[in-house]
Amino acid sequence: MTGNGDFKTGGFMYAVAIGIILVVVAESVFFMVKSWKRGKELGLSKETMKNTIFSSALFSIAPAVSILTTVIVLAGALGIVLPWIRLSVIGNLAYETTATKLTLESLDARLSLSTDITDPKTFGAVAWVMTIGTSFALVLLPIVCKTIQNKVGGALNKNEKTSRLGDIISAAAFIGIIAAFVCNAINGRQTKEALTIGDAGFMSVCTLVTAVVLSLILETLCEKKNLKKLEPFAMPISMFAAMGVAVVLNLALPEAVTAFTWWGNVA
Amino acid sequence: MKRTKKEKTYLDSVHLWGRLWSIGALIALLMVPTAICAHFHAWPKFTEIMGPIGKVMLLNWTVAVVEVIAYTPLLGAGGTYLSFVTGNIVNLKLPCGLNAMAKADVKANTEEGEVVSTLAIGASAITTTLVIATGVLLLGPAVSVLKNNPVAKPAFAYVLPALFGALGAGYFRKNVAVSLLTIAVGCIVLLFAPSLGVGTLIFVTIITAIAGALGMFKLGWIK
Repeated sequence: MTGNGDFKTGGFMYAVAIGIILVVVAESVFFMVKSWKRGKELGLSKETMKNTIFSSALFSIAPAVSILTTVIVLAGALGIVLPWIRLSVIGNLAYETTATKLTLESLDARLSLSTDITDPKTFGAVAWVMTIGTSFALVLLPIVCKTIQNKVGGALNKNEKTSRLGDIISAAAFIGIIAAFVCNAINGRQTKEALTIGDAGFMSVCTLVTAVVLSLILETLCEKKNLKKLEPFAMPISMFAAMGVAVVLNLALPEAVTAFTWWGNVA
Repeated sequence: MKRTKKEKTYLDSVHLWGRLWSIGALIALLMVPTAICAHFHAWPKFTEIMGPIGKVMLLNWTVAVVEVIAYTPLLGAGGTYLSFVTGNIVNLKLPCGLNAMAKADVKANTEEGEVVSTLAIGASAITTTLVIATGVLLLGPAVSVLKNNPVAKPAFAYVLPALFGALGAGYFRKNVAVSLLTIAVGCIVLLFAPSLGVGTLIFVTIITAIAGALGMFKLGWIK
């Protein structure tokens, strides 16, 4: 079935989103009430626990804005509701984008994150890949969490080298994910049938370089000037500014320049 | 440290409820694609989604194992169950939990740490959910208008270089050698196979990054 893309932001999708969000909030409230009661039994002061809740809520506002950025990125193809659901549960910036891109690449070479998906079947396929692809921790936790906390956790905490190695592997895996997209923006090419606007060239490299340079400048500024409050906004500001640069370059430069790709100009 | 009977009962209860909530959340999550496909009468063929599911599973399930092992001892039981349902662990829940424990002057792997970490992560999860929900309701109509606007079109066409450039810069700066090696290998591979999809390239870059990082760690280049 093919139609327009309105189904992605219809009342039904909002109802599904609200249902999922209620589950997340209910679980959070349940564990917080349980911990609060236990905290009182342990003699933790009300003030300490209130401060913990208040400061953690404040701490989370800016990163949440950064997460919202991903919702907007994915909204180009998926509408705003499915990314909202995904980024409210388990979701992660890099994994959700990867899952979407992989599914679209596999289903139809012409589809990309900037293509409005109009086929509910494609939309459903993306939802399945996102869900199954990222849910393993929820299968794993009920089985191993207790054991890890009791045994492995203690051993890891005692052995600093093993713990450091875990951090290094985790960071390397993340760099690997990001690098694939970065390389694709530097000299990647879409398949023959795909829209050539996805080919790497002048525009993709300019956008990438702007985002990297701005992000580095803002991070350095935050460190040197001790601007803790600005730190979480460095990523979204850099991203939106780079998107803005793409718009400005497209308006200001001749088409021969903006359409230039390593693999031939965009027709 | 030997735990008291009360402590055991509390932690056992956290694990029991954590398991139930995890299974419940998993069912709720699986209901999302099920409901979408049923409502729109649009079920994709299994063979169509098998490929991407396999790739994403290989990628994310491996990372999930590492994350569960690495973060559980730091987050405590309640914090772990909550974090893995609500996501964004590395960039939000972990620093939030650790920050709260440091401020309250309690240590991870103690009952006090368990309580503080769970309160912090719960508050963080609710705040994040509310901020995203507010943003979506406010920005939803604007996004629809913008993405169809010819002037704004390049912004969405080059959203991936913008996103991953901004996201990667911090990681690249802290891991210069691993990042340069990984990007160089990825670009060389693309020189010979330019149309290689990100889905395949990602395995090359992840393996390069992990192998490179392990090698550098052994050589003492990374401490």
